[in-house]
Amino acid sequence: MLKATLRSFLAHKGRLLLSALAVMLSVAFVAGSLIFSDTVTRTFDRLFASTSADVTVTPKEDLESQIPSGATPTVPASLAQRVARIDGVADTHVDAAVENITVVDRDNKSVGPTTGAPTIATNWYVTDRSPVKLTSGHAPEGPGQALLDADTAKKKDVKIGDTLTVLAQPGSFKVQVVGIATFTTTNPGAALVFLDTRAAQTELLGSPDAATGISVTAASGVSDAALKQRIEAELGRNTYEYQTAGEQAESSAASLGGFLDVIKYVMLGFAGIAVLVGIFLIVNTFSMLIAQRTRELGLLRALGADRRQVRRSVLTEATLLGLVGSTLGLAAGIGLAFGLISLMGAFGMNLKSTEIVIGWATPVSAYVVGVGVTFVAAYLPARRAAGVSPMAALADAEIAGVGRPLKVRAVVGALVGVAGAAALVGCVVSTETGSAASLLGLGVVLTLVATVIAGPLLVRPVIRVLGGAFPALFGSIGRMSQRNALRNPRRTGATAAALMVGLALVGGMSVASASMTKSFDDQIDKTLGADFVVQNQNFQPFPQEVTDKVRATEGAGLVVRQRFSPVAVRLPDGKRVETTAAGYDPRLDDVAHVTYAEGDTAAALADGDMAMDVEFAKDHGVRIGSTIPVEFPAGRKAELKVAALTDQDTGDGFGTQGGLYFGFGTMEKYVPDGQDSALYVNAASGTSVDQLRSRLEKTLDPYPQVQVRDQADYKELIRNQIAVLLYLVYALLGLAIVIAVLGVVNTLALSVVERTREIGLLRAIGLARRQLRRMIRLESVVIAVFGAVLGLALGLVWGVCIQQVLALQGMKALAIPWGTMVAVVIGSAVVGIVAALLPALRASRMNVLAAIAHE
Amino acid sequence: MPTAAPEHAPGRAEADGIAARARALTKAYGSGETTVLALDAVDVDIARGRFTAVMGPSGSGKSTLMHCLAGLDTVSAGQVWLGDTEITGLKERDLTRLRRDRIGFMFQSFNLIPTLNAAENITLPMDIAGQKPDQKWLDEVIDTLGLRDRLNHRPAQLSGGQQQRVACARALASRPELIFADEPTGNLDSRAGLEVLGFLRQAVDNLGQTVVMVTHDPGAAAHSDLVLFLADGRIVDEMERPTAEAVLERMKRFDTLRAPFADGKGSPGDVRPDGGYHPDGGPRPDASPEKSPEGSPDKD
Repeated sequence: MLKATLRSFLAHKGRLLLSALAVMLSVAFVAGSLIFSDTVTRTFDRLFASTSADVTVTPKEDLESQIPSGATPTVPASLAQRVARIDGVADTHVDAAVENITVVDRDNKSVGPTTGAPTIATNWYVTDRSPVKLTSGHAPEGPGQALLDADTAKKKDVKIGDTLTVLAQPGSFKVQVVGIATFTTTNPGAALVFLDTRAAQTELLGSPDAATGISVTAASGVSDAALKQRIEAELGRNTYEYQTAGEQAESSAASLGGFLDVIKYVMLGFAGIAVLVGIFLIVNTFSMLIAQRTRELGLLRALGADRRQVRRSVLTEATLLGLVGSTLGLAAGIGLAFGLISLMGAFGMNLKSTEIVIGWATPVSAYVVGVGVTFVAAYLPARRAAGVSPMAALADAEIAGVGRPLKVRAVVGALVGVAGAAALVGCVVSTETGSAASLLGLGVVLTLVATVIAGPLLVRPVIRVLGGAFPALFGSIGRMSQRNALRNPRRTGATAAALMVGLALVGGMSVASASMTKSFDDQIDKTLGADFVVQNQNFQPFPQEVTDKVRATEGAGLVVRQRFSPVAVRLPDGKRVETTAAGYDPRLDDVAHVTYAEGDTAAALADGDMAMDVEFAKDHGVRIGSTIPVEFPAGRKAELKVAALTDQDTGDGFGTQGGLYFGFGTMEKYVPDGQDSALYVNAASGTSVDQLRSRLEKTLDPYPQVQVRDQADYKELIRNQIAVLLYLVYALLGLAIVIAVLGVVNTLALSVVERTREIGLLRAIGLARRQLRRMIRLESVVIAVFGAVLGLALGLVWGVCIQQVLALQGMKALAIPWGTMVAVVIGSAVVGIVAALLPALRASRMNVLAAIAHE
Repeated sequence: MPTAAPEHAPGRAEADGIAARARALTKAYGSGETTVLALDAVDVDIARGRFTAVMGPSGSGKSTLMHCLAGLDTVSAGQVWLGDTEITGLKERDLTRLRRDRIGFMFQSFNLIPTLNAAENITLPMDIAGQKPDQKWLDEVIDTLGLRDRLNHRPAQLSGGQQQRVACARALASRPELIFADEPTGNLDSRAGLEVLGFLRQAVDNLGQTVVMVTHDPGAAAHSDLVLFLADGRIVDEMERPTAEAVLERMKRFDTLRAPFADGKGSPGDVRPDGGYHPDGGPRPDASPEKSPEGSPDKD
């Protein structure tokens, strides 16, 4: 029996090819993501472990914020001498490193990375742990000299002798590049500018006595932990943050870990889609192979093979397929990991591909996924094969399985569908975000399963409609292609399901993102009253001189500054909430429309007062007049009186829970070294908006990090940020489509083989090759469009439900991107045409005589 | 001209024209050592308005002859005309169009497209061509074949005899110059078979069609006007106004002749262990019929 199985496997290897490809793709993504994250993790673990100082002393940071305040916490530089006197300390260094800078070249173009990685300016000193070494030029001496890292220099074509401008918080200054430093370890992707230590302190931190931290080297024989304890004892436990090399490496790795996790989850998402879609393909392949082999299986049964043996034979074949697919997938996964690593290189993160790490978990998961998926997918067809009666060997059945009733599917599909619909209705009526989201998830899964199960039942009605015009448009060729698609609803349903899954996801996400965009647009329309907003692309703060220059610009009338700071508030209900608060200049009403439940802008921005979101206040027992203790960074504390309650649609989002804001004076008082995050600018009377715009753009030319935006530009900015989410979805869709195309190709190719005689007959009585190809193409198109319509319908329902959940977060507008939907349907027709290329070619190349004489 | 070929091409007599013609039609499979001659310089004229049967034992080349005459297969040498059109040398596309517009086909089995109903199957060649069928003619054909109440049935809902009648109607529907029927009764019981043969006869007598039927059944051949006997790739005899007994008698002589060559089944390139093929080896396009290999791609 095993021999027969092996023979069968080898005989059908052509027909199993596409299934193997599907297995390979899913395994490749699983293996690729594991290898990539293992490699990156190990590389960075090594980097951080080798470059961290034995002990570091840094300012105590008790508040973290999603929106940076622009302030750099410091410690006194004199701490270095104090620490140096502690027993067991071999050496100390002052660190002066900031990330809140922009470095521009002679043409006012930023030399920093465009990938979101930071530009870091730091002081230059060399230890055996430095991640860089000087490779040309000399070390910076005194102000006005700097080193640049080699990768940045190369990328932005900066040479020794060039002048750069550093736009730092205390003010911008010019430096001449006097040397190039090259990473001796992995470059994590940042741009590095090195200054002489004193210059760094003065120019970057604003004082020669400030430092961002102290690096301590332990004397030989003193452990890091012991030294940390001694320093802690000397300086006081809560005064500063103390970290051993190990702890620092860990926390650095953790901050990088978030980014790596994103990549890992995206990759696993791809793998998931590939697996899900691949299952349909494999089920279909095996179903068709078994249908084609009904007589052969019947003969085996007639010769005495029992049901179990037949089933085992099919499952063995599936396992072989899984093994082959997994092996190929593992190889492809290694390739994918290499590809990702070099892609990271393009983003400036130079990992060495020679250090690729393949942990034991990688091959294990690869084979578990590959073989498991194939086995599961082949199980039902295998059972069906086992059900073939010995009589089938004698009967002249055309295709087995065509006429089997779909009653079970109808019942199960309806039950699951009703449950799913109930969950979705539940999510729509739910008022609490958490439960609404989980109901949404449940509903999405159940409705998807229901549609997959009931898909074959929908084939007839939907394709009757979709292909209804075919006979009229394409005559008998159209009629035959429509009926061919209807011929085996199970097969058509499963083939289309692969496409459906991907398109349902896209449909849902595009409705959600269109709704989000529209909600933000509405909100911007409603709240933004300024002619222009001057702001950094990533909402990063900018130096004071930008504000000064904007104010000095001719024709600039009112300028309202916005500044953020992390805060913690202690609320009357006993809760301590860490959030972000904003500070504004007094005439806020002239640049923004704020709706108040109680109080007004004047009250909110008055000295010692603040505004709060009315819902947040209600939840935490805050009333007008309540005095709230507020903690600011660096241990500064204040008591502010709630003088206004706002009633905006979106109090939450962007980490600004509670919608706290107060006067700019309060902000400057408690966060003295902060930077402005946005400037709202109105044109002075007598200056046109267009005039002001061109003048502001001229003013800001030397500051490439900030841009002038009017309301439309601002919407565009928000839209682009939402679009990032969509790109990811589109990438997932792309993969799903690739596999779905494989599925359509697979189905058509096997159908063509099945219909050899029919095709021969058609050719004999005069069907031209071109017409035959068109017939197969039309069938493919109708299957693909069927999948698309089903998927989009499902996605539309999901999208509306997602929007209902988002509405609880304040995103109240519903927008349905009909344009996208139509484009997707047209796109799916194109997909159908592409998928039909090979099968159609194969059918048209078929020898007429061989086809007639088939069997 | 091979010596064994008759002086006059058979079938020419008493015809009001020639529907199809072949001269020195040769079809060889394989090359070198394994060359197999399915047709050996055959000359044949198919008379217009007559019912011609092609008989011969399995492997005699009768299906190959039909495929070559119908433009389904390419020839190795020689020429074939359909009416005045020389079809040897036509491009694939033109051949397809020729089959569609000028030839009707009936096969032994699998004659109909399962997804189309009877009416759609009947008009399929014209639909493919984008032509409107001649409704009057179509009605006549349908009524002659008694298919009026079966038009909306799918092939799976029809009996074998009904299916062949639909195939016959399709072959007639576009009033082709020539109808080729390849063992049209091979899969039918004798009653249904007789019915189909009766319709083919009617098509010739009443509708003025030209029919060429390939068969190995003497009873079927007896319905024709002229029987051409094929053996080992050559036309060896012909018989006008045949009867089943006469045809059977004629066929029996092949069996005695063929006895030393065993069953006659086989496929191109088949090499027999007894070496009965090619006693002297090599390609022999001019080999005498007695020495010709009997294996051919014919699958009846």
